[in-house]
Amino acid sequence: MLKHVLIAAAIALGASSAAAQQRDISGSWELSFDGRRVPTASLVPGVTPAMLEDIAQKDAQSVRWCLLLGLPFTMTQSRPIDIRQGTRHIVISAESQVAPTRYLYLNRATHINKEEFEPTTSGDSIARWEGDTLVVETVGFSATKGMRSIPGGGYRTEDTRLTERFRLLKNGSMLSVTSTWEDPKVFRAPHTYELRYQRLPANYAPRPALACDAFDAERVAFLEQR
Amino acid sequence: MRTRTFACGAAALVVLLGSSATNHAQQQGVADLTDGWVRIDTEGSGSFGGLTAKFPQAVLTREAAAQVKATPPPPPRLDYARDPSKPKGEGEAYIVTDGRCGGGGVPLEPNSAAFFITQTQDKILITREGSGARHLFLDGRAHPDPTHWTPNAQGHSLARYEKGDLVVDTVGLTPGNVTAGGRRSPETHLMERFRVSPDGKRLTITYTWQDPKIYVKPHSYALVFERLPEGNYAIEDWCDPSDPRTGQSIVVPKQLR
Repeated sequence: MLKHVLIAAAIALGASSAAAQQRDISGSWELSFDGRRVPTASLVPGVTPAMLEDIAQKDAQSVRWCLLLGLPFTMTQSRPIDIRQGTRHIVISAESQVAPTRYLYLNRATHINKEEFEPTTSGDSIARWEGDTLVVETVGFSATKGMRSIPGGGYRTEDTRLTERFRLLKNGSMLSVTSTWEDPKVFRAPHTYELRYQRLPANYAPRPALACDAFDAERVAFLEQR
Repeated sequence: MRTRTFACGAAALVVLLGSSATNHAQQQGVADLTDGWVRIDTEGSGSFGGLTAKFPQAVLTREAAAQVKATPPPPPRLDYARDPSKPKGEGEAYIVTDGRCGGGGVPLEPNSAAFFITQTQDKILITREGSGARHLFLDGRAHPDPTHWTPNAQGHSLARYEKGDLVVDTVGLTPGNVTAGGRRSPETHLMERFRVSPDGKRLTITYTWQDPKIYVKPHSYALVFERLPEGNYAIEDWCDPSDPRTGQSIVVPKQLR
């Protein structure tokens, strides 16, 4: 009898451990050159080429002045991201001076109310596990700050909602993040793309962020040359 | 007998499953650091600059003291661009910064802004309300060979738990000043001890700088932090160097005579 109980315990423990492993995306991750599957977004007729050009120019100014760029940049930039899953929140830190740290809150199911939350470049993110998938919902984006253009077309506004689904693939060596952007003033239909990140070795040591100097005349001349 | 055997097995099952679901910090009997923290003025000095003024001053070696004396003081940040030969006119701005936005790093010592600790099994991340992070490695790795390390503002940090405290050893820092008259070099060791109060509400970080080339004895002081209330969240520390107000934040009031 004891043997059976202990076997059951071992099996249950193994399953529990595997589930816990599947429910922990902590690690250093790098977006590989072939890790982007981004279809073209379908935009509403109200979004004109002039509006898109205006957004592109404002994005360029944000880059020129080394401003925090926020989402989607933090997840699409070329240097590794570090994800750490704590008891109350998950933190995502990029090796970039202009990518603000993301906080995904596991300890609340509702967003901070609009009257209280001042819109930011990364918004307010709440997270929950659905099976082996971490579902993150973000609202509260700034309509003026950061890099607003979205891969595949369109841009974020104060009414934009982003839903991300994080899932481990290939025995935990790869992280899939599917992003769905919704905003009736911008997208005709929800715009979805997938990014895949490779897990970096456990002994990887993140590098300091590359410096961005808004007063470097040579850099500014490079960025503003026509 | 069979009943007792079953009970023991079931108890083992509960313990095993329970332990696997419990977070790493609780398993090791260490304090739960994961949360937001903000520095408090335990000395009642009324200013954070004033707080450090009461710290015991570093006792430097003769060589280090001579080096400090030979180093010209940095230009004052207050009234940054003022030409002292010209009097300031009415309504002219006092420029209190040079308009730059700090570089996005996470300083070794938190200032008055909130910071956040995220504890996992092999690493602890300390982050702020902007970009960047301090990485404290718990995985048993060693410090890198100094010849293969470029010194930086955060250095290379190894962490371990000791009797419930988190102890962090950092080397590889860029040369510079340290609180209360200290100095540092890439070879200097900074030992930090993170201790949470029994009620979980306060965090004390004790900083100890050790370097026989710089200090006659280890240079030590402590900062105290309060856990942010339940439901806290990080805001965004926005700084825009293209905004003229970033570089000019104090304007001389109109003079009455």
